[in-house]
Amino acid sequence: MNDVLAFARGPLFYGSLIFFLVAMAFRLFRVLALRWQVDRAKPKGNAVEGAVVSLLKALLIFPFFPGLKGLPQRSALVFFAGGIFHLSLFLVIFFTAAHTLVWQSLLGFRWDPIPTPIIDGFTAATILALIVLAINRATNPVLRLLSGPSSYLNLLFVLTPFLTGFIMYHRLIQPYNAVFAIHMLAVDWLLVWIPLSRIAHFMFYFFSRPAHGAEFARRNAVP
Amino acid sequence: MSGEEKIESALREFLERKRISRRDFLKGCGVLAIALGLSQVDGAAKVALALATKPRPPVIWLSLQDCTGCTESLTRSQSPQLLNLILSDLSLDYHETLQAAAGAGAEESRLATMRDYAGKYVLVVEGSPTPQDGGVYCVLGGRSNIDVLKETAASAAAVVAVGNCACFGGIPGARQSPSGGVGVRDILGNGVVHIAGCPPIAEAITAVFVHLLVFDRLPELDGLGRPLETYRNTIHDRCVRRTFYDSGQYVKSFDDQGAKQGYCLYLLGCKGPTTYNACPTLRWNGGVSYPIQSGHPCLGCSEPHFWDGGGFYAGQSAPLASPSGVITAVAVAAGAALGVGAILAGRAKSRTTSSPAPPPPSDSSSQEEKTR
Ligand code: HEM
Ligand code: SF4
Repeated sequence: MNDVLAFARGPLFYGSLIFFLVAMAFRLFRVLALRWQVDRAKPKGNAVEGAVVSLLKALLIFPFFPGLKGLPQRSALVFFAGGIFHLSLFLVIFFTAAHTLVWQSLLGFRWDPIPTPIIDGFTAATILALIVLAINRATNPVLRLLSGPSSYLNLLFVLTPFLTGFIMYHRLIQPYNAVFAIHMLAVDWLLVWIPLSRIAHFMFYFFSRPAHGAEFARRNAVP
Repeated sequence: MSGEEKIESALREFLERKRISRRDFLKGCGVLAIALGLSQVDGAAKVALALATKPRPPVIWLSLQDCTGCTESLTRSQSPQLLNLILSDLSLDYHETLQAAAGAGAEESRLATMRDYAGKYVLVVEGSPTPQDGGVYCVLGGRSNIDVLKETAASAAAVVAVGNCACFGGIPGARQSPSGGVGVRDILGNGVVHIAGCPPIAEAITAVFVHLLVFDRLPELDGLGRPLETYRNTIHDRCVRRTFYDSGQYVKSFDDQGAKQGYCLYLLGCKGPTTYNACPTLRWNGGVSYPIQSGHPCLGCSEPHFWDGGGFYAGQSAPLASPSGVITAVAVAAGAALGVGAILAGRAKSRTTSSPAPPPPSDSSSQEEKTR
């Protein structure tokens, strides 16, 4: 099991990360190379301002305050499940003590982790949230029409690192190394899966927001 | 005489012969009982009885590619008197560091022990064997270490590998080591008992011999060949700093306020969560302390290939291999070039087939939506 773990933390992680970088750059630049349509209408507002405001909102507000735009009529539970999930994905990936060491080794510097009990609470909430989202997807008539197998695989592949990380921290299953190995295999796989799937929206989101914002602002609409 | 009286008189006779106080003896037996995973009171009595009454097996102690640190650890055992009880009587018949004989005489004493106690002696190996280049990197009496090891193991009752080098190759087996150390099991096959550690705790070594004496068989082993009674738990399971880990209070540099408070050493690279050993319970230097208690993260020295585990201070979640800045930039550039290339190639194709070019999309994300 030590060998599997060493492989998953070493060469496999390396390979997955390289694939992730190449594939994400490919997807992004393929879209950028399509170029923008030249809009010959006289602008009614400042496009740059619209892009910046929209990007800032996308970065700082929408991911963290899911209820801000007013609750949708249908289900507050589902709405907050999505919000909590994204917030805690962010916190867990960047601020779990173990993960700050990953970033340190990748970037050369480290920041302080968030106390583990808080991360752990978010993890537990996220596991529940993912289950709620899966049930919602399977029962909501419109979502059902839009969902294929990959929609459920997205949820499953994101759930696995959360579940195994939670098990590791609480030492629910021994040996720890075995769960650690599964955690790493799941993460390596996620790095491969993300560029092939709609989870890539985490990147496109930050490009489509300013693009929309600029277009809105030119027409003098609030981005 | 009743059974109890017989035991009592045997014990008294033994203590007089060995010139050791009853109090020291029983205290030492208590420590060994803990190392064996027995209860301190009943277990100590069992150990005392075995030590006082049973004959010891002779021991041949081979030193291969080693630093003699394991022997150093053993001879600095918690209770030197206790060690004498176990090992002098164990009559270390061949130990390169401790024996009086030298040169050809030493070899002769090894062969004599093998002859006289065939099938009865215990072979202890310290340091890693090296089969590389015909075994020339470690020779004993002019012979390859592999030959001597196989020869001595052939008629041994049990083989015990002491220290990370003998168990898993250790430092001579680390990446880029020219002499290519391997574990004793790689030469002799399974069944070898692994007393892992760099070095192992003295009591972990003696515990194997005491187990043999008390139970007349070898201890139960874990998946890596280590006695479960000593290596059942991780350092982290019993760590003195565990409450700080649980509450997420970490030492962030060796001299910060957290270090003074005794916070958890995880961020400084502690390998405690994945390292199986008894340091937090047996402790070192007479039960005084162990590395984490003294302020240093666990190096994971009882685990295979700890030397190549990504750095002692790198953290056990840090990747073992990660791309450099240049390689990252090349990967991103390659992906970008492929992406732009795919579009340009598509355009060139539509031009050569002279169909009208499709109008450029109004917005990047809506186009992306379509391509998905
Ligand atoms: C190279 C990447 C990663 C490494 C090396 C890594 C390593 C670890 C380790 C060692 C732990 C356990 C910490 C402990 O026992 O205290 C952990 C916990 C965790 N990891 Fe990861 N991880 C990685 C990526 C991820 C990703 C991408 C996710 C989520 C999508 C994730 C989710 C979690 C969660 C939810 C926990 C548990 C937090 C808690 O309950 O306290 N990990 N990770
Ligand atoms: S110091 Fe190491 S072994 Fe102790 S609690 Fe922290 S991580 Fe675990």
